[in-house]
Amino acid sequence: MTPAISATGLTRRYRDHTALDDINIAISGGTITGLLGRNGAGKTTLLRILAGHEFPSSGSVRVLGAPPAENEDVLRRLVFVREDQAYPDIKVGQALRAASWFHPNWDSTLASSLLDDFGVRANKAVKKLSRGQRSALGITIGLAARAEVTLFDEPYAGLDAVARQVFYDRLLADFAEFPRTVLLSTHLIDEAAALFEGVIVIDRGRVVLDAPADVLRGVATRVSGPCLAVDALAGGRPVWERRRLGSQASVVMVGPLSPDDREQARSSGLDLTPLSLQQIVVQAAAGVLAPAPETSFETERTCA
Amino acid sequence: MNTWVKVARYHLVRPANYLFLLWILPFSFAVGAVTAGRGRGHDAAGYLISFFIYFGVLGMQTIGRSLPFGLTLGASRRSFYSGTALLGMALALVSGLVLTALQAIERATDGWGLSMHFFRVPYLLNGPWYATWLTSAVVLFALFVYGMWHGIVYSRWGPLGTLAFIAVQVLVVVAGAVVVRFEHWGVRSAASGSSAGLTALGLTAVVAALAVLVLAGGHATIRRATV
Amino acid sequence: MPEMAGLDEGTPLFVQVADRLAGEIADGGLAEGERVPSTNELAAFYRINPATAAKGINVLADDGLLEKRRGIGMFVATGARQRLLARRRAEFTQRYVAPLLSEATRLGIDTGELFDLIKDAGHEREGVSL
Repeated sequence: MTPAISATGLTRRYRDHTALDDINIAISGGTITGLLGRNGAGKTTLLRILAGHEFPSSGSVRVLGAPPAENEDVLRRLVFVREDQAYPDIKVGQALRAASWFHPNWDSTLASSLLDDFGVRANKAVKKLSRGQRSALGITIGLAARAEVTLFDEPYAGLDAVARQVFYDRLLADFAEFPRTVLLSTHLIDEAAALFEGVIVIDRGRVVLDAPADVLRGVATRVSGPCLAVDALAGGRPVWERRRLGSQASVVMVGPLSPDDREQARSSGLDLTPLSLQQIVVQAAAGVLAPAPETSFETERTCA
Repeated sequence: MNTWVKVARYHLVRPANYLFLLWILPFSFAVGAVTAGRGRGHDAAGYLISFFIYFGVLGMQTIGRSLPFGLTLGASRRSFYSGTALLGMALALVSGLVLTALQAIERATDGWGLSMHFFRVPYLLNGPWYATWLTSAVVLFALFVYGMWHGIVYSRWGPLGTLAFIAVQVLVVVAGAVVVRFEHWGVRSAASGSSAGLTALGLTAVVAALAVLVLAGGHATIRRATV
Repeated sequence: MPEMAGLDEGTPLFVQVADRLAGEIADGGLAEGERVPSTNELAAFYRINPATAAKGINVLADDGLLEKRRGIGMFVATGARQRLLARRRAEFTQRYVAPLLSEATRLGIDTGELFDLIKDAGHEREGVSL
């Protein structure tokens, strides 16, 4: 089946640096995918190109089967919530009205209810909104458009934790009722981790991780405790990190743990803590991780 | 509703943003009435120029102000351009009509009872009402799209790029004037009447042709604009 | 966050969802023939992606513990509770008895002492009405 979003050899070069370098991705329709990575990694550039706001230097992108730039057939079925959206001198309600003309699936009841949820008045000038309220407006447009492809670029600037949770809840609820393809870039990974079916991590313009969220959960575990016991369990298996303090050691072990492993850990007094998605992403972005987490790179013993 | 119309409606979603320009006219008229002196048959038409210039500024502002959200809404750059030009045309036609009407009233009241000729521009807007309408609408539209082009140049290449763009135009005009001088095409100044050379209608046609050129130029330039 | 509803970092989310539902069935919280929460309801409750919730349900459905009734939803199959309890009995030794024994060994508690500890704890439990 054709992916809803795909990029092949996508590169974006600027005069002094390369923002995206040979990006290859394929995202299936009807899924929520997280686009993760550090600031300046290239997430925003990728989203802008997918939305037709920017042009590739080389390579190609396809959204709903066709390149999006200047293509109104695609653009009508897409909505892009930018972090830094500039609006003309208009009011909130007027922005929503304009959006309703351009998006065939627009639901104005949903739009009003979202504005209420976030406490933004339709009558207020967009220029006078606080940062959080502007984000709320962007989110409202992004969700009420019910576009087949919905792109979010860190849409929660200025929103407190409660408001962010409202966003996640509303996104999930509307997605459940009206499935669509969602690509959400965020640096608040653990908050949003459970929303994602797929995860793409970008670092310095390259894809360093592209895997189902299920696979990543529990792919790495921190094993800590008596040095020898740690070695006994982790010996011969791929390890991402190792630390040592006196007779205690701590390693990040890669790979699933069998019930026997857990039994062994418990009986030898070891602590097992699974790595959160955020921690895995940090490892990936730090370049510790090869494209496939199964690749081992350190198997020597810790205590010697 | 095709995209051009949607774009035009989008610009007008807050009508005050564009209706404001209609206030310039009475405002500058009032200023003219007060400062131009009463009863001296003074031609206060210079104040009309502010209205025309404002049209150019308006065209320029459409890009910086409305293109970013326009792209987000899902208009292609070319549709945004065409839709905005469409808006400019509509505004030019309406404004031209208003000017024509005011001119008619001015004539009927003999200069608003003060012998003030505000809406009569010798040579250009001096003929029958439909000529006034056509000429003013064409000039206003040309200024609007001319402003748009500068807005696009500014958004792509910033202040320096815009300066360079203007410099190139100045060079072209100077070169053109030199050529015309040598060729004795006899384009006389307005004061000497229209016995030889272009009529007002002819000049209108020239401006219209320039507007078409500018339209093409802007349309080509916006294709790679980014916001 | 799903952690607030008790889901953790380690096992895949869909496995945890399946385990939760299975636990509910085993405990009798979900009776045979009763309708199981829908994918969307589970997704909203745990604040997870609906596809993940669906995967969890499918695990149980593939196991024959849930059955689908067209147009209405998923229901607990007959005999599901028995089968789950039987399975847990089979796992009881590995999950609970073996760890108990290894911890006892670690602490130097011999089998006789262990029996006494269990008996005493059992008496206490029966004494307190549950």
